[in-house]
Amino acid sequence: MSATASGTMRMFPPDVTDDERVAAAVLVGLPSMTPARLRALFAAWPDARDALAAIRAHDPEVLTVLRAHVRTTSHTDYVALVRRWTSSGSWDATARILAARGTRVHLAGDDDFPIEEVVPKRPEVLLIEGEGCDALRGPRVAIVGTRAATPHGLRDARELGRFLAQAGCAVVSGMAIGIDGAAHIGALDVEGRAVGVVATGLDVVYPRRHHVLFERVRRHGCLVSESGFGTKPDASRFPVRNRIIAGLADVVVVVEATIKGGARITAERALEYDRPVLAMPGSRRNAAAAGCNALLADGAHPLLDPSDVLVALGMTPGSRRSWEPRAQVSGDARRCLDACGGEPATVDQLASRTGLPLEDIARCVAECERTGLLERSRGLLWPR
Amino acid sequence: MLASVWSATLLGVEGRLVAVEVHVSNGLPAYNVVGLPDAAGRESRERVRAAMLSSELEWPLRRLTVNLAPGGLRKTGAGFELAVALGLLLASAELPTDCLESTGVLGELGLDGSIRPVHGTIALVDAFRHAGLQRVIVPAANAPEASLVTDITVLPARTLGELRACLKAELPWPEVDTSDVVFAADSDPDDDESLDLSDVRGLRLAREALEVAVAGGHHLLMVGPPGVGKTMLARRITTILPPLDPEAALDVTRIHSVAGDLASGRLVTRAPFRAPHHTASTAALVGGGSGRPTPGEVSLATHGILFLDELGEFSPATLDALRQPLEERAVRISRQSSALTFPADFLLVACSNPCPCGEPTDRCRCDPARLARYRRRLSAPLLDRFDVRMSVSPPESNDVAGESSAVVRERVRAAVDRQRARYAGRRWQRNGALPAGPLRREVPLTGDAVDAWREIIRRRALTGRGAAAIRRVARTLADLDDTARVTAGHLGRAEQLREDVP
Repeated sequence: MSATASGTMRMFPPDVTDDERVAAAVLVGLPSMTPARLRALFAAWPDARDALAAIRAHDPEVLTVLRAHVRTTSHTDYVALVRRWTSSGSWDATARILAARGTRVHLAGDDDFPIEEVVPKRPEVLLIEGEGCDALRGPRVAIVGTRAATPHGLRDARELGRFLAQAGCAVVSGMAIGIDGAAHIGALDVEGRAVGVVATGLDVVYPRRHHVLFERVRRHGCLVSESGFGTKPDASRFPVRNRIIAGLADVVVVVEATIKGGARITAERALEYDRPVLAMPGSRRNAAAAGCNALLADGAHPLLDPSDVLVALGMTPGSRRSWEPRAQVSGDARRCLDACGGEPATVDQLASRTGLPLEDIARCVAECERTGLLERSRGLLWPR
Repeated sequence: MLASVWSATLLGVEGRLVAVEVHVSNGLPAYNVVGLPDAAGRESRERVRAAMLSSELEWPLRRLTVNLAPGGLRKTGAGFELAVALGLLLASAELPTDCLESTGVLGELGLDGSIRPVHGTIALVDAFRHAGLQRVIVPAANAPEASLVTDITVLPARTLGELRACLKAELPWPEVDTSDVVFAADSDPDDDESLDLSDVRGLRLAREALEVAVAGGHHLLMVGPPGVGKTMLARRITTILPPLDPEAALDVTRIHSVAGDLASGRLVTRAPFRAPHHTASTAALVGGGSGRPTPGEVSLATHGILFLDELGEFSPATLDALRQPLEERAVRISRQSSALTFPADFLLVACSNPCPCGEPTDRCRCDPARLARYRRRLSAPLLDRFDVRMSVSPPESNDVAGESSAVVRERVRAAVDRQRARYAGRRWQRNGALPAGPLRREVPLTGDAVDAWREIIRRRALTGRGAAAIRRVARTLADLDDTARVTAGHLGRAEQLREDVP
């Protein structure tokens, strides 16, 4: 083991040895390893080294333990799986990768494990990479939402990420396109901490479009995964991953969510784990806000102002500050903004509603764009 | 015995002179056609023979050889049959030897001796005129069309028997009925009088987009959810098109004649409106096809509108094939033996949904990957060709009907005249065709317009192409306002006509 790696390892509490962490990483990286199977193994052998030794030694107990905990797989499949396990997963190779990448292995038994013990089905092992691991010590807020976000939602997520990072919170999310990415970017804008929880291996960048964001999060925060290196994106892993986002956060904020979607799963897990859930209300016309509105109807706290999150965190007694001061515009421009009614509109709609000549509308729209009160996106004008 | 008669075949939209040589010799009775005829040419034997027998003319039981010269040119269609029949009559001395002197012959024969019309009469007759021929015998049904070509005498022929009598001066030639060749726009049977722009409520920017597109020749893309009136607007674009000038009318008539869809063989004076369905093949859209290359929709839309509804549903390969004609205003079709050029100088008007789900943009439920896939169907180079792009939204409840088509048409006509006068002697006649190079010189900006121009480019982060499009459109807006100077107001309005859609 190289000097850098042992330097990293020394940060762990002294009662857990490095060997145990490497063993845990080997277990996580076994083929077709799932969180549930890992949980079963750790229940039988609390020390990862014992579990690994049992697998290597063809211990029939392994099969019994797996069968007892996870019944969805047939007996013959398990026999084949355990046989594969005995011959895969190299100790040395895993130790080398951990050292080379500077990956930390957090075990559920650690005192500073970021998810407390009462959380049901909490991950047994978390692999963490990045230069801002201290993000997991302070207050953490998850900002989640749909991938198919509207420009309004993206802007809100980014502003919220920025606001919370300035308030000293780490922003936890799933690195996805849409709200997730916008929230991370908001936090990084002000050099705050971002925690990206991924459903793939830490060496896989998914979605590819976010490769720059992945690099930024590594530098100013950390990436968290419970899957072994090389795990490719798989639809079944994302909902399971969402429980880690809920578990890592002190408060979960849903910015825009569709009725069915990962963000609602995160919110449900958060309620299960007794975390406050805040949802940003939206227009009933906005399909991307329907999930939030449904959460509100089910009793989530409405998020009307970023400081509501701080109230939920108990960081402030409840003073309200507005989103951002409004810019001053001319009377006609104000008429155009009012004609939007807070919702996106076309130039034609503004012309019909205000009755102004097209030339004046063009001038007003340009003025509002300059002052940031209107934004052009997807062929519409979006008021902020 | 040998006889030679002039006829012509089509090559693209041009006619080529063909000498039909008929040789009658002793030997076993036979009939052979040489000189690269197509299947229709080879089948001519039965039609020529039956037509001659029906017309009580003798079919020589001898060895007949028909040669279509020049031998290297591929000939298409059955339009040589009349020439073959007349050649046989000459060879058998049934007609005086000099009666087809300086005369072109076109026509397909029916079994009863009747003379059937052919495609592309104008182009073919034009070829005769260029070759210096003085007379042309055409099927009676094609005579009005043929008479559009000046400086050549058109002799209509109804049946083979009658034609023989006319050629022998036993009967007078029938009159060519030219009374309805050139007709006023309002008598067009295709004209749907019920359409008018005043049917459209509100949508002031969309109406302006339509007007600008037609006046300046700017390609137009309208994006909006289904049912907001994109197609309704586009259909009314014909009502504000100025009528074709005589030269353009002849061009359009010639192309449609070659394609064989010239209704009643008259001069087309209305700008064509072509709306191919999105299942159209690439060959149907840009031309070509197997056998004789035929003009596609882009050529048929020359001097008029090519309307592509549901642009995103066309196959990406077909759409990419549009780029070359849009750039060069012509279609080049290369074949093993020849390379043809069809004109394709059209105004492209296209509609598209903003996304596959078809909901309004702010209610769209499409996930980003699906949306990205949908948008990729429209390649950036194609989208760049649209000077005017806009989002169409449903009318508001308080909207009232706008100006009628007649008012708009007058403004468009004046704007077109202004451009013609300004661009006299240039390679381009419309603002839409103005290349980026001379744009700065042709559309000068002064005073506050310069600042407005810079501000727009900065705020919208425009590319060179985007900026050029706005400047061209601003010029057209100024032409519609009948002003020489492009003002900041024009630029601002032009900017609204350049949305980042879809």
